[in-house]
Amino acid sequence: MKKLWRCHVCNDVHLGNKPPEVCPTCGAKNAFVLSDLGEALDIIGKDHASLDDQAKVQAAWKQFSDQSSTVRLTDKAEEVELLSKGVLENLKGKGQRYCPCRITTGDRGKDLNLICPCNFIRQPTFKEEGECWCGLFVKRDAQ
Amino acid sequence: MLVRAIREEGCAMSGTRLIWFHGKECPHCRKLAPVVDQFEAETGIKLERLEVWHNEENAKLMRSLADTIAPACGGDLGVPAFYNEVTGKAICGRIDMAKLVAWAKG
Repeated sequence: MKKLWRCHVCNDVHLGNKPPEVCPTCGAKNAFVLSDLGEALDIIGKDHASLDDQAKVQAAWKQFSDQSSTVRLTDKAEEVELLSKGVLENLKGKGQRYCPCRITTGDRGKDLNLICPCNFIRQPTFKEEGECWCGLFVKRDAQ
Repeated sequence: MLVRAIREEGCAMSGTRLIWFHGKECPHCRKLAPVVDQFEAETGIKLERLEVWHNEENAKLMRSLADTIAPACGGDLGVPAFYNEVTGKAICGRIDMAKLVAWAKG
């Protein structure tokens, strides 16, 4: 089970099996100490912008795309528009930004795998056709 | 020829359903709609169109068929998916007219 870790230098919070060797925020080495939910929530706080409109969701997807050397956002603007509308419908109706081309199971653990962007690299459509199930993300050399 | 065969079988299997599970905000479902329209026009067979993200009953039905549909979708449930109640066969994902005809025919 993943654990919560806190950088003792800058209070960066990390959820994972192991602490990061280098803090991605302040650069301190071997700086993470085991934390817990109460401490982590206190650090995180509630003052963060929600991804609750299409422009913000699309900006998050673009950021994800720009940082990747292997995948990018599709060029099909109307599909990006439709899918961002869909994930927000699912946020409103189902509680998370689930992929509009999948379907929830009711099992929270399994459904976490449906939050967009999902881990589409493992999907047969990505391996065989170079795009995620819904076509939102494509291999950089595809399309 | 193929279409005629489906039409004949379609008459024989009235009372059974050919189901299309789709999502309102799924781009592939949207692209597929004209193909389904064409299929229905050419064969005379109507598909039952069940939207799964805005109708929980439809989603429940789809989940109940997960053992058949999920493998056709590459392991997880997804739309667009088609389920033939007569044959128990499912197809999923990028579907064209030829695949639709073959699935309906069984």
